Amino acid sequence: MKTLSGDLKKDADALKKLLPAEDILTFEFSSEKGLPFIAVFADPITDKELLGEQVIRPLKHFEGKPTADMVGAQITSPEMKKEKSLQKLAAEVLSGNPVILWEGMDEGVVAGTKKVFTRAIAEPSTDVAVKGPREGFIEDVKTNTSLIRRRFKTGELRIEMLEVGRRSKTFVALCYLEGTAIKETVEDVKKKIGEIDIDIVPDSSYLTHFLASRPYSLVKQVGTTEKPDIFCAKLAEGRVGLIVDGSPIALTVPYLLVEDFQSSEDYFVPPYRATFTRLLRLFALVVAIYLPAFYIAGQLFKLQLFPVKLLLTIAGSIRDIPFSPSLEMLLVLLVLEVLNEASIRMPKYVGMALSVVGALVLGETAVSAGFVSTPAIIIIAFSGIGLYAVPNLIEQTSVVRLAMLLVAGSVGTYGIILLTAFMLLYLVTTENFGTPLLAPFSPIVGKDLRDSVLKYNLGSLDTRPKTLKSPNRRRLK
Amino acid sequence: MTAATQKRIAPRQIYLLLACIAPIGKIVYLPSHLAHYAQNDLLFPAVAQLLVQSLAVFLTLLLAKRGMSFCQLLEGVFGKIAARIFVGIFGLFLLYASLLPLLEQQLFVQSEFYDTLPSLFAFGPFFVFCAYLCSKPLSSFGRTWDILAPLAAAAFVGVMLLSVGSADFGALAPAGAAGGRGFLRATASATSWFFDAALLIPLLGKFEYKKGMAWKGTLCYLGGGAAVLFFLATFYGIFGPLAETQLFGFSKTSKYFSGITVLGRIDYVFIYALALAMAFYVALPLQGAIECGMQIAGEKKYLRTFLSVAVNALLFALLVILEYRLKQALGVISDMLFWIFPIFFLLVPALSLLIRRRRREV
Amino acid sequence: MKFKRFVHTIPMKLYILLAAVILFAFFSNDFGLVDIQKTAIILAAAIDRTEEGFSLTAQIAVPKGSDRTTGGTSSVEIQSEGQTVSDCLTRIYTKTGWVPKLVFCNLILIGEEAAKEKVFDSLDYFLRNEYMPDSCLLAVSEGKAGEMLSSQSAIDDASSLAITKLFSDAAQKSGKVMPNSLKDFTMGMFGVSESGYLPFVRSTPQQGEQSAEGGGSGGGGGGSGGSSSGEEPQQIYSADSTALFSKDKMVALLPIEQTFALSLLKGKVFAGTFNAKEEGKPVTLSVIENGGGVKLDSKNGLKAKLSVDLLVRLCCRSTAVPSEENIGDTVPAKTLEDAKGVVEGYLTDLWDTCKQSGCDLFSLKQSLYRSSLKKYAKWKDNFLPSLSFETDVKVRTRK
Repeated sequence: MKTLSGDLKKDADALKKLLPAEDILTFEFSSEKGLPFIAVFADPITDKELLGEQVIRPLKHFEGKPTADMVGAQITSPEMKKEKSLQKLAAEVLSGNPVILWEGMDEGVVAGTKKVFTRAIAEPSTDVAVKGPREGFIEDVKTNTSLIRRRFKTGELRIEMLEVGRRSKTFVALCYLEGTAIKETVEDVKKKIGEIDIDIVPDSSYLTHFLASRPYSLVKQVGTTEKPDIFCAKLAEGRVGLIVDGSPIALTVPYLLVEDFQSSEDYFVPPYRATFTRLLRLFALVVAIYLPAFYIAGQLFKLQLFPVKLLLTIAGSIRDIPFSPSLEMLLVLLVLEVLNEASIRMPKYVGMALSVVGALVLGETAVSAGFVSTPAIIIIAFSGIGLYAVPNLIEQTSVVRLAMLLVAGSVGTYGIILLTAFMLLYLVTTENFGTPLLAPFSPIVGKDLRDSVLKYNLGSLDTRPKTLKSPNRRRLK
Repeated sequence: MTAATQKRIAPRQIYLLLACIAPIGKIVYLPSHLAHYAQNDLLFPAVAQLLVQSLAVFLTLLLAKRGMSFCQLLEGVFGKIAARIFVGIFGLFLLYASLLPLLEQQLFVQSEFYDTLPSLFAFGPFFVFCAYLCSKPLSSFGRTWDILAPLAAAAFVGVMLLSVGSADFGALAPAGAAGGRGFLRATASATSWFFDAALLIPLLGKFEYKKGMAWKGTLCYLGGGAAVLFFLATFYGIFGPLAETQLFGFSKTSKYFSGITVLGRIDYVFIYALALAMAFYVALPLQGAIECGMQIAGEKKYLRTFLSVAVNALLFALLVILEYRLKQALGVISDMLFWIFPIFFLLVPALSLLIRRRRREV
Repeated sequence: MKFKRFVHTIPMKLYILLAAVILFAFFSNDFGLVDIQKTAIILAAAIDRTEEGFSLTAQIAVPKGSDRTTGGTSSVEIQSEGQTVSDCLTRIYTKTGWVPKLVFCNLILIGEEAAKEKVFDSLDYFLRNEYMPDSCLLAVSEGKAGEMLSSQSAIDDASSLAITKLFSDAAQKSGKVMPNSLKDFTMGMFGVSESGYLPFVRSTPQQGEQSAEGGGSGGGGGGSGGSSSGEEPQQIYSADSTALFSKDKMVALLPIEQTFALSLLKGKVFAGTFNAKEEGKPVTLSVIENGGGVKLDSKNGLKAKLSVDLLVRLCCRSTAVPSEENIGDTVPAKTLEDAKGVVEGYLTDLWDTCKQSGCDLFSLKQSLYRSSLKKYAKWKDNFLPSLSFETDVKVRTRK
């Protein structure tokens, strides 16, 4: 590893050689006593005002022995460190921290004056709560960790900074509560993060692939949240959290499927209401997945699934449709998915127009033109809405719905049952960090059922989930 | 760790299997079969079978005290080769035992999932599911029972709630109308449906024996059996002299509920939930057979996969051959070859217990 | 090693194969599938005896186009003949190209002639068919069942719907109709009593001017096959008589009074009415509560006890005398006495009809069988002739 030589010009050239990019600038200046300094910094990501105020101006008045300690003491930036390695100094420059070199010293000083680009803390659009905190994570890891720290005024909260990505050197904050999280899980997460050999990590979703026990699975295996209150609640239950620099979505492990049926608001409303809404979410999801499939299977294979009057209405409405019932439903589903995809990506002002075109023009005229039937549109519309009752699982459930539809259109009701059995088996045998995905239902953990699809009163939730095997079980004394 | 390969089955999961999953196999074809031979006396052969099977379950659970697999248990007495031969024979028995649930499942699917007779293709995916199921180690299935048992119990309660109001329990009188011969014939032919103790044998060594487990397990089995008896009584109460023509009992009894005329067949929610649990139950003997194969050859993932695929492909081929003779095949197993069952579900655990004892005395 | 690698790839190959098969099946939709568009949804069936064997008239629901916003059900009646009922259905298939499905068949009408001899020859197909709902209603029609099913109803879009309405729960409570399902009828006939009953449906042309709002409107009532709407008079149906069956054939017909008596014995009447005399003039009494039952006493010989317990209120007088005591709905004691006599008379007539026709309508033989196999063995061959009866009628009024 190359280190500084003490020859200012040579060292500055060596550093510049390591960082040949044009936006890496050097600024030469001298103290009033004539000691020459060179500041190397990355132009776009260094706060030059701070560099001038906290580094250059004080050094102009530098007197005395030019040791690293003395120079460091002169700088007024609260973040400062000394470094000898050229590579490490280069990395600091790339992080936005300027490096100060001066003549005759084989050690440089790094000042923490990077420019922080942040947006304001706002309510995340994917996790809106009527009651409860509205703060959401942003893309800056430091801001995000500060949001966590603010909620845990205890030394038990550990935030360890890890670095992932050969090129991006992305900071990943590993958060857990000492004594509450299982040590093995913490070590396991560290190990898995350490083993990641990838060039860049643009978002936390990249890490989920490496943390999952079945990386190619459709099933979600790592918890995600955009809200610090949920993140902290999960840490308090004994989970380990990861905040990735540049991503507003924090990760938590171990993940239980039931987590996504819960919302932060459930803890701020009466338990009866919370239980009702959780059951409603489950019901909506089940209906959303199965309704189109059973509708098709009923028409093709088992007419008795419909009451006779409904069947006659359906038969009447599909009479002039040129497609088979299964193809018709697939077509409507695909149109819905396209509309959904387009309306998310479109600019907002076009998005509104698109919804109108999609919902009114396409839907109405397609029915009038006899391309599709009204019941098919109603079924898919209801299914589409139902999926969003559990928004965190939308990527998975929309695929499952499509699979159900295909199976229903080819094998019928029995196919739906078999696919359900297959999924059940798959889910039951999936575990991550030693925790079964379907807990507390499989395996049944009686006490944990109190905060699953059901939600008991806060007073009854006196212990942390047994499923997570926290060494510190009691939560309420 | 991905799958729960290293997990052991919890005693709770064994109880759930015995109480909630095992009874499912007895409410499909068996009710009409019993009614055929015993008419209104159909409860008596069922009680007799339940008592015998409970004894077998008790003995098998006692064997679990030793904490060894079936193969290990035999190895200590007969040596490696003989033990493997025994286990192999037992695996073949389980393969044979799986035929009856498979046949009735296929008939059930044809009748209850389709309005017109479907092609064999419709039943084919079951074997793909079954092959996947069998390719997983048996010990990882305790958790499926955790989910399926409450589901099956709730669905059963749902079916019964819709059914019981239509039943005339007086139809069960007079006791003994079928006579001793009817009772014996019904009891004998029902044997093929009661082999749950044999399903526990491949599980030996995969769960830890807890104090009183044999009693608790037996009581659970009897509890499930009581539910079966209640169903049989309701079934006969609803259909009376027509009972023997009503195949797939549990899907027939609830359709007379008055709300169905308005809401449509809401009972299908329960029937399909039971069908879901049944898909796992039907695969149990096959899983057991594959497990026996693994005990002989040693646990190797590729071998398990190969065996699962091969066995299921063979069975599918067999069902294709039997396409129009499913009921006859079912009749041959239940009426002619029923005697094979007690040898394995009763004699095997009883002898295993005895042999051990004798050896200790020596 | 090679084998190992091969085995490891099997699951993936199988999944790909399965996915391909499923996709092929999904998009081809051509593997013997009988979907909703190829199906004839049979709402009702009528069976008559012919020289060849049977004639089956199926009332098939015709879906309306998507532009229709009005309610109602359109239907068409298709008739075919064959040696068996199954034969008839196959011919319907060859005639129409639609696969007839019985899963929604809610009414089977048996022609009078078919009912009078070996009724189960007509019903056998329906009992054997796995997809036939045995909860469907069963009735005997006056004359040809096919003609009745093809007739145009004055009150509903389809004749079967109009007939089914006669058997509603509300109609049953009037006590003037005794509906029965295929399953319950079969259970009675296949049981030790070998007896049963079915409602007997009559149709009468609607008197007077045909209503413009009648069946033909709002849903295209009637259909092309058989009924020529507009020319034939619209029909009104009634089912206040009950056909009695014993040993596979219809043996007697209960008039409306005896049907009412049967309903009273079953304890099903609520708000049903009957007439009694008050000082020689007719009054109508309404049943508020109805207890009833038939018990068999086999201690000393065989004796049936027909019990009816009624709570009635005065519903209507033919000559209303304005006085204070006549304002309420309490029935005077003398009228109650007369009412009791009326009901006893109905019961006696009912009993006589049953006994003469050999129909064990109350399944008393079954009761004996269930209570004692010994006594059953003793009496089974000469059961009805050995049976005496008594009535126990209580008619009360609200004070």
